[in-house]
Amino acid sequence: MKSQGNGLRLYAILYLAFLYAPIFLLPIFSFNDGTIIAFPLKGFTTKWFALMAEKGQLHQAVINSLIVAGSTAILATTLAIFAARASTRFEFRGKGAIMAMIMLPLVLPEIIVAMAILVILLQMGVGLGLTTIILGHTLICTPFAIAILSAAFQSLDKSLEEAAYDLGEGKFSTFRLIILPLVLPGIISSLLISFTISMDEFILAAFIGGTSPTLPVYIYSQLRFPKEIPVIMAVATCLVAVSIVLLIIAEYFRRRGVAKTGGKDSGGFL
Amino acid sequence: MSKDAMIHLQDVQKYYGDYHALRGINCDIKAGEFFSLLGPSGCGKTTLLRTIAGFEDITSGVVMIDGKHMEGVPANKRPTNMVFQSYAIFPHLTVEQNVGFGLRRDPRPKAEKDRAVAEALEMVGLKGFGARAAHALSGGQRQRVALARALILKPKVLLLDEPLSALDKKMRENMQVELIRLQRQVGITFILVTHDQEEALVMSDRIAVMFEGEIAQLADPETLYRLPNSRRVADFIGHMNFLPAKVAGEANGEIDVDVQGLGRCHISARQAPGGNRGEEPSVGFRPETLTLLYDGQTATDREATGLIEEVVYYGDMTYYDVKLDGVDAPARLSMRNVPGRPVLDRGAKARVAWSPSALVLFR
Ligand SMILES: Nc1ncnc2c1ncn2[C@@H]1O[C@H](COP(=O)(O)OP(=O)(O)O)[C@@H](O)[C@H]1O
Ligand SMILES: [Mg+2]
Repeated sequence: MKSQGNGLRLYAILYLAFLYAPIFLLPIFSFNDGTIIAFPLKGFTTKWFALMAEKGQLHQAVINSLIVAGSTAILATTLAIFAARASTRFEFRGKGAIMAMIMLPLVLPEIIVAMAILVILLQMGVGLGLTTIILGHTLICTPFAIAILSAAFQSLDKSLEEAAYDLGEGKFSTFRLIILPLVLPGIISSLLISFTISMDEFILAAFIGGTSPTLPVYIYSQLRFPKEIPVIMAVATCLVAVSIVLLIIAEYFRRRGVAKTGGKDSGGFL
Repeated sequence: MSKDAMIHLQDVQKYYGDYHALRGINCDIKAGEFFSLLGPSGCGKTTLLRTIAGFEDITSGVVMIDGKHMEGVPANKRPTNMVFQSYAIFPHLTVEQNVGFGLRRDPRPKAEKDRAVAEALEMVGLKGFGARAAHALSGGQRQRVALARALILKPKVLLLDEPLSALDKKMRENMQVELIRLQRQVGITFILVTHDQEEALVMSDRIAVMFEGEIAQLADPETLYRLPNSRRVADFIGHMNFLPAKVAGEANGEIDVDVQGLGRCHISARQAPGGNRGEEPSVGFRPETLTLLYDGQTATDREATGLIEEVVYYGDMTYYDVKLDGVDAPARLSMRNVPGRPVLDRGAKARVAWSPSALVLFR
């Protein structure tokens, strides 16, 4: 039994190493005083981070990404609130089919979605830019947002609403006083996850972004120039840090929501 | 409709799609009454309660509360408040905020409302619990918060949907007594939904027994127990023995019946309160209305003989299944275990005393 346990443990360690070692290499090389990404390390420097400040295109890409991710998060979450509320509270004809179609982009190859959207946008003569990226990202983020919010609405006891109504509140004030506070952790969690997904999405942004590069598109374009690679490493290090912080916040709110409504934790994305 | 009816229901029909959930409910509930809706799960008790509360639209019929038609009046405008089966305590609010929730639109100054909340908490025995987080309460405490939250609005009618079913036995019995006390104290009409016949008997002034969306019998607990109007009601409320019977004649408010195993006797017409839907006539009696006769004892009224088939000892009571001579199925009778009264053995011959006045005829 013991040796078998050790074998499995070794497997688990290798698996995790394979998953995370490359990511740990990013910060290591971003502080390395040399343009070639190879061991041995040359020495410690922060000049690559300083150099980030001088890249105007990088700044524009970051701004683009923030606009896209911010708008996407708000749009996707808003749409998802309606969809999740409708699917958990009401019965209507074709509900299963409608929900399945909304959730489909979750498993559809993104490249197909990207090509399809591109073809249609070009046919319609719509100019490519940030707006089109936002629309595309909303499409792929909404299923995630719905999954998170459905769980939040699902764990809400219907009689809570009825009780508030019974005690004299109207439909709207019941939503504001009871439903919203109880699903708020889910909403925050949905905003953060949508933001993170949009932030590092590449295929759609590259296909339908026109001449407005988002951060991932900019990073990819810079990889052709070997001397730019250390700066990209620095950018990537910052991105990893921000992503981790956002995901931790999202998970915190999701768990708090579960605890508050007294529900059972059925596992989230983390 | 009687003048003092707080709730008046007239031919209330409710369909869920094709499903006929309420099939013509007629009843008047008096002001200040403790009224129970009793019936097996799925018979439509909750639906009827929610109909009164305004959560369900009825398909047809009339619902009146305190003399006013309720058609088109939404739940938040009705003079009723509900204690939900799940209690529906708002988990993100404190006990105080939960209890005071319904006072949000009350124009009184805050100090006065705070006093009302404190009083309501004291009434349900939760004095000093105001600042607690609601999601950290026990089942019994939640139940009390739900009660206080509903009663603080001084509704004309309090609706309770199986409020005790989630509590353990001991707690449930305590709460039964407390609910009765509370109802007397506030004088509000209580309508309680329950599937527990004992609970309904203990607590109610009157009980409506429901089967499949219909009221089968509406009566006070004693009448319901002594004179059920159908075998089904009789079976649902406690235990009743049935024996085949033949009606030999009827005159002057008296019925002449021939009961298998007991013999021929006269009963009052009052003892035949209802029909039995085309089944063969039968006579019913409760286990405690038959008495085992020990050696040397004689019956004051009538006597029958039989064989003890089963003995079940319950501490304070012993139940005997006795097959009366000339009857196929055994009848259950119960004897209190008092000193000097031995528990008889299985297989022994038995003499039992009975009285025609304790019989109910279903024909
Ligand atoms: N919203 C609904 N839609 C369809 N059927 C319902 C609905 N609510 C209740 N029913 C049905 O109506 C019947 C009565 O339900 P209910 O009043 O909850 O019974 P009880 O409270 O007596 O157990 C049940 O058969 C139930 O399945
Ligand atoms: Mg029910």
